[in-house]
Amino acid sequence: MAVVEQREELVEGPPGRKPGTRSRRVTLIIALGVVLLFPAVAVPIFDSYAYFMQVGMLMLMWIAMSSSWNIIGGFAGYISLGHGVFFAIGGYSAGLALAHWDISPFLFLPFAGLAAVAVGFLAGLITLRTRGPAFIVATIAMLFLFLLWFDNWEFIGGSNGLDLPLVDIPVRWLKVPFYYAMAISAAGAVYLSYRVAHSKFGLGLRAISQDETKAEVAGINTRWYKVWAFALSAFFIGTSGAIYGYSLTHLRPLTFFGIAVAARMVLMSIIGGRGTVAGPVVGAVLIIGINEFAVRQFGQTELNIVFTGAILVTALLFFPQGIVGSLRKAGRLPAFLDWD
Amino acid sequence: MQYVQILVLGLLLGSIYAMMASGLTLLFGVMRVVNLAHAAFILIASYLTYMLYESLTLDPMLSLFITMPLMFGLGVGVYLVLFPRLENSPRYVEMTVLLTFGLALIVEGLLTFIFTGTFRTVRPEYASTAITVGEIFIPTSQLYASVISFALLIGLWLILRFTKTGTAIRATMQNRAAAQIVGVNVRRVSALAFGFGMALAGAAGSLLSFMFPFFPAKHWQWIALLLALIVLGGMGSIKGAIVGALLLAVASAFVTDTFGPTWSPITFYLTLFLILMVRPQGLFGAKLRL
Amino acid sequence: MALLEIENVVAGYGAGPDILNGITLNIDAGTSYCIVGPNGAGKSTLLKAIAGFLKPRAGEVRFDGTAMNGSRPDQMLAAGVCFVPQDATLFPMMTVKENLAMGGYLITDRSLLRERMDMVYETFPALAERKSQSAGTLSGGEQQMVTLGRALMIEPKVVMIDEPSLGLAPMIADQIFEKIRGFGDLGITVVLVEQNAVKGLETVDWGFVLDLGSLEFEGPADGILADPRIRELYLGKQLAPREQ
Repeated sequence: MAVVEQREELVEGPPGRKPGTRSRRVTLIIALGVVLLFPAVAVPIFDSYAYFMQVGMLMLMWIAMSSSWNIIGGFAGYISLGHGVFFAIGGYSAGLALAHWDISPFLFLPFAGLAAVAVGFLAGLITLRTRGPAFIVATIAMLFLFLLWFDNWEFIGGSNGLDLPLVDIPVRWLKVPFYYAMAISAAGAVYLSYRVAHSKFGLGLRAISQDETKAEVAGINTRWYKVWAFALSAFFIGTSGAIYGYSLTHLRPLTFFGIAVAARMVLMSIIGGRGTVAGPVVGAVLIIGINEFAVRQFGQTELNIVFTGAILVTALLFFPQGIVGSLRKAGRLPAFLDWD
Repeated sequence: MQYVQILVLGLLLGSIYAMMASGLTLLFGVMRVVNLAHAAFILIASYLTYMLYESLTLDPMLSLFITMPLMFGLGVGVYLVLFPRLENSPRYVEMTVLLTFGLALIVEGLLTFIFTGTFRTVRPEYASTAITVGEIFIPTSQLYASVISFALLIGLWLILRFTKTGTAIRATMQNRAAAQIVGVNVRRVSALAFGFGMALAGAAGSLLSFMFPFFPAKHWQWIALLLALIVLGGMGSIKGAIVGALLLAVASAFVTDTFGPTWSPITFYLTLFLILMVRPQGLFGAKLRL
Repeated sequence: MALLEIENVVAGYGAGPDILNGITLNIDAGTSYCIVGPNGAGKSTLLKAIAGFLKPRAGEVRFDGTAMNGSRPDQMLAAGVCFVPQDATLFPMMTVKENLAMGGYLITDRSLLRERMDMVYETFPALAERKSQSAGTLSGGEQQMVTLGRALMIEPKVVMIDEPSLGLAPMIADQIFEKIRGFGDLGITVVLVEQNAVKGLETVDWGFVLDLGSLEFEGPADGILADPRIRELYLGKQLAPREQ
C-alpha cells in the first residue's frame, strides 16, 4: 500500500519538469508493476519459487542500500566504507526488539531506520571532520570499532550471534512478507534519493562534491549538509538490515560488518553511476543479476569476490562515471533512466 | 620487571610494524596512494613463504630473498599498469583508495580460492623456542624478525639517503612538481618507490608467516593496524611511521596485559579514529589534503 | 633558424576548452623576451606547454630544429629548456645546498656539479651564507633566489621564468630582475612571463603581447612600452604605475 502512495507523490514531483516526464512515468509504473506482481507470477511458474523470491528480495535490498549510500558517497562525494555499521544497527535493533520485547521487526522498521540515523548522525559529527582519503580511512576505523564492540558485547550474543524466533508462516509463503517489506524499503530509498537530488539540499551536496571551499564561500553550511547527508543515508540501510536480519533468523556481527557489504554498496553506485538517481538502481540490478548467474553457472566460489574486485577496478579505470554517467556524457542516456 | 618484559616485547613487535608501515607510508609520500591492498600483498608473500616451506622446507628467513624481489617486480608492474591512467583524474587520491580496495578484494578472493580460508602458519624450529636475558623472556622468532626488520629499515634509509634514486624519491615526496622541474622522471621514480614499498611488504609477509597464524581475510586487520600507525606518524613521513609503530606496539602490549588480548586491536582503531579527528596531519606529517 | 620555434600550438587543461588558440612565435639565442598580456591570456599555459608539463593538442614545439612535442619535462630539461614556475617549488625540508644539488640532478659528473654550485654562489652571494639552512625557512626573496640559482645549475640554453616578482616587495623584486638581466651574460636565453608588464619589459629586449590565447603583437620591448595603443588595448591598468 505504501508503495502505491509513494508512487503518486513521485509522479507529481517537484516543478520544472523536463520533456522525459511521460517516459519516466511509464518507467515508474512498469517498474512498480513488476516489483508488485513478481511474487504472483513467480509462484505458479517456477518450481524453485523460494529461490526467485530470495533473489528478488536481495535485489530490492541492494537497490535500497546503494541508493542510500549514494546520498553521501555520490551526491556529496564523501566515500564511506563504513556503512556496514548502519546495516548492523538496523539488524540488531530490530532483532533485540523481537527477542526481548516480542515486537515484530516489520512493525519496528521505522525505528530501526531511526536508530541507524541517530548513530549515523553521531558518527557523522566525528568522521566528517576529515575529508578525502582521511575520511575513507576514518570510516574504516569506525567499522572496525563497531565490529570489535559487537563481537565482545555479551548482551547481543557477541561473536556467536543472536538467535531470533522463526516467523509463523507456512514455508511456501515464508518469503512473501520479507519480499514486500524490502520492496517498501527500496521504494522509500529511491524516493528519498530522488527528493534529495531535486532539492536545494541536494544542490548543496553537489556543490560540496565539486568544490567544498567554494560551496562554503557561497554560504552553504557544509558541515551540517554533510552530517545530515550521512545520517539520512543510514535510514534505509537500517530498515534493510532489520528485514534482512529477520529473514536470516540468526544475527552475527560479521554478516553485517563484513567489508564485502560496504564494498558492494560502493561498487554498485560506481558501476551504475555515482551521484545519479538511477545509477545505484541499475548497478544493484546488474551486480546481483551477474552474481546470481555466476553462482548458478559456476557454483558458490570465492571467485565471486575476485569478480567484485575486478569489476570495481575495471570500472574505475575505464568508465569512472558509471553506466548512467557515461551514457549522459555521450548524450545517449535513454529518457527512462534520466531521473536527475 | 613485568613492565620491562612488556616493553621489550612491544618494542620487538614495533620494529616489525615499523618496517611494514614505512613501505605503506612511502607509497603515500611519493605517489599519494593510500594502498588499501598493502596488507593483502603482504599476505601473498606469507602464502608464498608457506608454500616454499611446505614443499622445500625452505627457512622462512631465507625465502625473503625470493619474496622481496618478486614483490618488487609485482609492485612496479601493478603501478605501471594501473596508476598512470588515473593520474589526470580530478579525484586522484580517492580513486587510488577505491582502486586498491578493488585490488585487495581480488587478492583476498584468489588466496581463498587457492588456499581456502583455513588458518595457516609456518613452523620452523625457532618458532617454538625462546631465550632469556636476565628475567626477560624473548621468543626466538620475534627476535629474528625484529633484527631483520631493523636491518631492512637501515637499508631503506641508506638507499634514500645516499643513492641518486633515493634522493629523487625524497625530492618527489617533498614536492612532486619541483622534482619534475629539476628533471626527475616522476613516473619512473614512482614505479621504483612502489617496488620498494612492495619489497618491504614481501619481507613482512615472510616474517609474519612464522609469527602469527594467517588466513586470506586477515589482511583487513593488518591494514587497519598499518593505517593507524602511519596516520599517527603523519602520512608520508617515514620517521613518523617508525615512531608511530613503536608507540602503538608498546601501547597495545600494555592494553593486552591489562584488559586481555581481545582488546588489543582497539588500541589501533581508537588511535586511528582519534588522531584523524584531532590532528589529521599526525605527529610529523603535513596536513592531509584532497 | 631560431633556437626555439613554437608553431600553431593549441593547448588546454584536462577536458577543458583551448587556452592557447594556435600560437606561433620564435625565440632566438642571445635575445631576452618577456610575454605580457591580461589575466587569462594564456601566458603561463604557453610556458607549461613548451616545458612539457602540458601536452599541446595541436601544433609543434621545435628546439634546435628537433620536434619536441609531447616530451616529458625531464626530456625538455635535458635538451636545455628549463622552467621556473610561479608557485614556490623548492624542497622545503632540504637545505639550500641540497636544493641546488637537486637542480643538477641530471648532471652525473661530481666535479662539474661543484663547479656549477660555486658559480651559483657567486651569482647569488646571499645564498652562500645560507647554504645549510633548510629552504622552507627562507624569506620569499631568498626562496626565489634559490629557484633561480637551481635553474642555473643545469646551465640551460633557455630558462623560462613565470612571474618572478609574485608576492615580493618591490625592492626585492628589483633585485631579482637585476639578477635575471645578468643571465644573458652567462649565455642563457631568458623568457619571462610577468604580470608587472613595465618591469618585465624593462628587463628584456623583445616583447610578446598575448590576449585570449593568441599572439596579438610582438616587437622590441622599449617600442611596446612606448606605444600608447598597445598599452591601452592589452596592458591597460598594468602600466598605470608608470603614468603616475
